[in-house]
Amino acid sequence: MQVVKNIFISLFLVWFAFLLFMPKQELYYALEAELLKQGVEINEKQIEEGIFSLSVKEADIYVKGIHIASVDEMQFFTLLFYSSLNIEVLKMDDSLKSFVPLEISKTVLMHSVLSPFEAFVTTMGSFGLAEGIVNLKKRTLRIDLINVKEIKTFRSELKKDEKGWYYETSF
Amino acid sequence: MKHLFKSKTFKNILSILVILLLVKLIWVIVEIIWLPSSGVYHKDEVGGKSLYYRVKLTPNDSSVPVQPSKPVKIAGSIRDITLQAVYNASDTTVVTIVYKRKTQILGRGDAVNGFVLEGGGSNYATFSKDSKIYRVDLVKSKKSTASSGSIVPGKPLRKNKRPSSSAPQKVQGEVVDAGDHRIVDKSLLTHYANNMDDIYKNIGITEVKEDGAIKGFKITFVRRGSPFSKLGLKRGDVIKSINGQEINSYNAAFETYKNIGNVENLTLVIKRGKEEMELEYEIN
Repeated sequence: MQVVKNIFISLFLVWFAFLLFMPKQELYYALEAELLKQGVEINEKQIEEGIFSLSVKEADIYVKGIHIASVDEMQFFTLLFYSSLNIEVLKMDDSLKSFVPLEISKTVLMHSVLSPFEAFVTTMGSFGLAEGIVNLKKRTLRIDLINVKEIKTFRSELKKDEKGWYYETSF
Repeated sequence: MKHLFKSKTFKNILSILVILLLVKLIWVIVEIIWLPSSGVYHKDEVGGKSLYYRVKLTPNDSSVPVQPSKPVKIAGSIRDITLQAVYNASDTTVVTIVYKRKTQILGRGDAVNGFVLEGGGSNYATFSKDSKIYRVDLVKSKKSTASSGSIVPGKPLRKNKRPSSSAPQKVQGEVVDAGDHRIVDKSLLTHYANNMDDIYKNIGITEVKEDGAIKGFKITFVRRGSPFSKLGLKRGDVIKSINGQEINSYNAAFETYKNIGNVENLTLVIKRGKEEMELEYEIN
């Protein structure tokens, strides 16, 4: 029994130390470098590290050199078995109004080891409330608009079924 | 000898420290070998824009002094002109018209009834008068259509017919060939400035890279009959610059697109085959 207890304590310690000493900022830079290969650049004003999280504040997002959005705060959080990304106030460039809603007040992307090939999205904005699933195996994204408000400007990008309006894409 | 610490507690603390140290050491190695020490920083393009001027030849912004002249009686309207035939090439336009039951042949710059021939297309001619452009369509053969055998009367180009609500959405505005340049309706530009997705339905554009750097944007297709084909753009053309701004990055292209609704003139430098040419547009 003592041996089992010791193993659990050791595992807990390794897990805690792994998260505590994780070079979160450098990992974020590595993520930036990977995104750059896809033509995506993120310019942030401030990065703050926590024990389990990393906050990126006042970030501008560029795709192929074009400024497409600005974000007030992005918070990466991980416990390894559960990870999330909170995006606060995402403002899209005005020229994209026919594709996407111009302001998304909050977006939460969650991933858990219980469903390793799926990530869940919840988002709120001028369009209302939307929930979706990212299928990492099929590389698809489907977002269902639950509480529809203003979707007139980007309705052409949406589809409709018996559940209501939804957005679907693959990557 | 009396021990200050219990050996078991000491051993446990030591084990914890070793674990922490090991994990830290692994992360340090990972950080040194694989992880970048600084992030990516996007630099805005500064100073890449070429200067481009349109010179007004009138002093200041004042209007050109009007020479006193005898009032000219305006005789008739553009509706009095019937277009019988048109020949249009890049350097010349010749039309056959009927005015007051008389057939006349006009070249570019010739005037009839105060309307100066400016240019034309395959089935129409454009005339100017008092800074306005008028379009006269070729008279249709009576054999070809039973219902309509008369010409479409010329009218100012700004006043376009609205499409019926049941018809597929048609973009407002026209592109008119005025000889050495083309005249583009402002409403057309405004429409495309606000509806980016409509652009891609009519024209395909892809980057052209040389040694890893973008040298322009190649047109992969132009939808027949679309305003883009009327602009004189053809498949295979490479857009090099717009209004003096070199289009050598996505950002440059996008910035130009964002300001397209505010321009009064448009000059496109394109490469067609091995030849580089300039396309001039007046936004009206």
